[in-house]
Amino acid sequence: MSAYTVSIVSIIGINVILAVSLNMISGFCGQISLGHGAFFGAGAYAAALAMVATRNVPLALLAGLVAGSLLGIIVGFASLRVRSDFLAVTTIGVNFLFVGFVRKQPWLGGEMGISGIPATGLGASGNMIMILLLACVTVAFSLYVSRSWMGFAFRAVGEDEQAATTLGIGAGAYKLAAFGIGTAFAGLAGALYTFFTQFITVDAFDFIFSVMLMAMVVIGGIGSTWGVVAAAIGLTLLPEAIRFVNDYRLLVFGGMLVLVIRVAPGGFAAVIRNRFVRARQA
Amino acid sequence: MLRFSLKPPGLGAKTVLSLASVVWLGAATTLPVRADIKIGFQVPLTGPAATDGKSAQIAGEMAVEDINAAGGVLGQKLQLVTYDDQAKSDQAIFTANKLIGEDGVKLVVNGSYSASGRAAAPVFQKAGVVMIAAYGVHPDITRAGDYMFRLVHLGPPQGAATALYIGKRLGLKKISTITMDNDYGQATMDGFLEAAPKYGIEVLNKYSYSLKDRQFGSIVASVKRDNPDGVYATGYFFTGGPLVAQLRAAGVTVPIIGSQAFDSEKFIEIAGPAAEGTYIIDSFDRDRKDEALQKFFAGFKERAGYAPEGVAAITYSAVKLMADGIKRAGSAEPDKVRDALAASKDFPLLEGNMDGFNSLHEIIMPIQVNEIKDGKFAPAGRITDLNAFAPPEK
Amino acid sequence: MYYIDLAVTGISFGCMYAMMSVGLTLVYGLLRILHVAHAAVFALGAYVTVLAANATGNIALGFIAALIVTPLFSMAIYRLLYEPLLTYRPDVPMIASVGLLVLMQDAFRIVFGEQGVTFRRNALSFTTFDLSGVTVSAVQIAIVVTAFAVFLGLHLFTTRTRIGIGWRATVSKPKIAASFGIDPIKVRYLNFAIGAALAAAAGGLVALMNNLVDPAIGFVVSYKALAIIVLGGLGSVRGTLVASLVLGLVEAYGTIFIGAWLDRDAIAFLALIILLMIRPQGFTGMRTA
Repeated sequence: MSAYTVSIVSIIGINVILAVSLNMISGFCGQISLGHGAFFGAGAYAAALAMVATRNVPLALLAGLVAGSLLGIIVGFASLRVRSDFLAVTTIGVNFLFVGFVRKQPWLGGEMGISGIPATGLGASGNMIMILLLACVTVAFSLYVSRSWMGFAFRAVGEDEQAATTLGIGAGAYKLAAFGIGTAFAGLAGALYTFFTQFITVDAFDFIFSVMLMAMVVIGGIGSTWGVVAAAIGLTLLPEAIRFVNDYRLLVFGGMLVLVIRVAPGGFAAVIRNRFVRARQA
Repeated sequence: MLRFSLKPPGLGAKTVLSLASVVWLGAATTLPVRADIKIGFQVPLTGPAATDGKSAQIAGEMAVEDINAAGGVLGQKLQLVTYDDQAKSDQAIFTANKLIGEDGVKLVVNGSYSASGRAAAPVFQKAGVVMIAAYGVHPDITRAGDYMFRLVHLGPPQGAATALYIGKRLGLKKISTITMDNDYGQATMDGFLEAAPKYGIEVLNKYSYSLKDRQFGSIVASVKRDNPDGVYATGYFFTGGPLVAQLRAAGVTVPIIGSQAFDSEKFIEIAGPAAEGTYIIDSFDRDRKDEALQKFFAGFKERAGYAPEGVAAITYSAVKLMADGIKRAGSAEPDKVRDALAASKDFPLLEGNMDGFNSLHEIIMPIQVNEIKDGKFAPAGRITDLNAFAPPEK
Repeated sequence: MYYIDLAVTGISFGCMYAMMSVGLTLVYGLLRILHVAHAAVFALGAYVTVLAANATGNIALGFIAALIVTPLFSMAIYRLLYEPLLTYRPDVPMIASVGLLVLMQDAFRIVFGEQGVTFRRNALSFTTFDLSGVTVSAVQIAIVVTAFAVFLGLHLFTTRTRIGIGWRATVSKPKIAASFGIDPIKVRYLNFAIGAALAAAAGGLVALMNNLVDPAIGFVVSYKALAIIVLGGLGSVRGTLVASLVLGLVEAYGTIFIGAWLDRDAIAFLALIILLMIRPQGFTGMRTA
């Protein structure tokens, strides 16, 4: 496997984890989060500091997970207090605050970022396998949650919070859970990202990246795990396969987002489900 | 039957492309075509650095065309393999892997910002690929190893030279500094701050701003209150332009000295009459009576629609130097090219002759200073005291 | 003098934010949609002002061109993007709006170039007046005057004219207004048009201030506008005005002190989050059940 293939598969794996975790928050539980990059970044920085200090891979993974989740739970608490419209803006704000804050902290590398992060010792291929394993875990977990009582509760809260409350579902607790879990995976992805690049700067975690992640979720089909996985893979590969897409990346992604919402707001997953239904009725 | 397939759109196109390229390769190998020497080229075509990326790209392409028109190198044509690194570190690593793995490139010119150069350098070093950083100024780039070369003056030495110029040549003692918050702006300012005491310069206050700022109201008011003898600012032309305009508009009349990346016609355009009298350190002397330079100038202006600035000139020279290195090495093998490059002496860059590289493969060359006079760049001296701003040897 | 200089900066920024953000709050008030793409409207206004001014040699004509083109663009966004999506929950058009903004920004880069555009002949950017030690630029004066005129005009429009009153009625009680014979569709178009005109004016003025319009111009102000309208209470024009001025001043003074540990643009969001923790309904917004 060439170094290039290894790196592309690694990035796909990381994006899958990110997109699926965002889907848990925004798709299952209906909490629109446009700041997912911040949790990704928090995990990446925590893992970077852990690696530089201890060179211990499991510790760094844990640090990433915890950092992402902690920030996520804080934001989750915010989501309890504010109206749903405000939530989107709050998550954007969290993203900007994260980036704006980290930029200025010398102990976090500031503008220069953190470089020379020690390698995991697994080599590029080893890292890739670790990423793929964790991506499978994330997808499996997401599928499990989707079919479980928790998934039902998430969906209830997402569709109609007041109705869910009358059913005895503590909306607040489930919202927090959704945030905490989804952002934990994002933090984990952050740690994996740090292992992969060994050099992180805060620009990688900005709002535009969060928008790309949301685009994956929407295009794949908000709420559908497999749809989101497919979209994550496809949208990561698209700029590689088609040069035009690479040069006009934002144009294409923005355009796709607009088009999908206009034409098929349920994403590709909904399109396919409809085809199935249509085919069966025929 | 399902009309839409779950296959991600990208894979479909990729298969088609792979098939197409196999067919093409098959056709190509049957034709009597000499192998081209591939030179990897990383430029920021999108993102906040897109303006410089475009200049670098055009300049790089021009250099390859000029070289090929003159017969190529060692009887072979040069071919640029260009990737957009968005001036981001992760993209730089990614495109570096692509160049090494997919394209089998052994010689690279990095025409991007420091964030990219710093990230790509270790990757290339490990793969034994020669990289010339055209204008990335962060020290980490050459520290990555001996396959790395840098064609622009390092940030800190530029800052040190600025201190010399301000202290000795302009005789200004009390300075307010304005730093752009990124590795380029900070590295350059650090060099200035360190060398300033040597020339009797007192730094009254330090301010900073970010790459995307175009409004400097608070900084301007604070500088006005400082009442310095002069103002030194690091940044790019698209930040420096508004900054200088706003400083002058607020009534700050003392000399303003800008860093290398201010150097662009666009700076004069943006700042308008306020640009008058601004000094730019390590600026590119457009008036040099050099045929190659004038030809480049005219050619670039025609192709790009705007006059070339330092970034374009140095990227052009980087490609030219790489070709010269291959010629002197007598081969395109990276080890030999590396040694030939390290031994470069008196090579004519578009900006003037470079004396050579030091042991860290940093450039040894006097620094040119320009001043804006009558809306044009006018030479305002050269800082020739090489020891004052000698780049580190390790 | 220093502090007055900062105040002048703060107020002119605040006025600019206000003109930019009102359009956003108007759309929210009427349709409950977070019209993130409003930033693209603003950027388009800036571009058109410069390009038209360069083409005709007259800055005033540049502004007029922007005031014509930008509302048309904004109304098109409503018609093509939002109207078909009104039946969905408001998150859906908002995400589409985000997509549109990202698309437009790249489009600006591709069409108008990465370098951006500048006024060809523009004395206004560089004219300043010295009022007993305080330097005020002509553009800053223009911004404040324009903002004042615009908001006064808006106030008169919505209280003295039939159309304006009908518009206000539709925003607060759409069904009752409709039963009085006011066409809600026309009101929507009016809404988008007026918001866009304000943003275009703001865009043109920013272009004058910087003498540069580059693809990034919408980026920074746009997200701040979101914070501003939330701070002001979504849907409240008065609240937006207050929030804009406060933010302008906080940024002007705050940059010097806070700038050491937080990016200036993040100040707006910091203020937002702090406020929302204390008062989840914003400055002057209503608390819904």
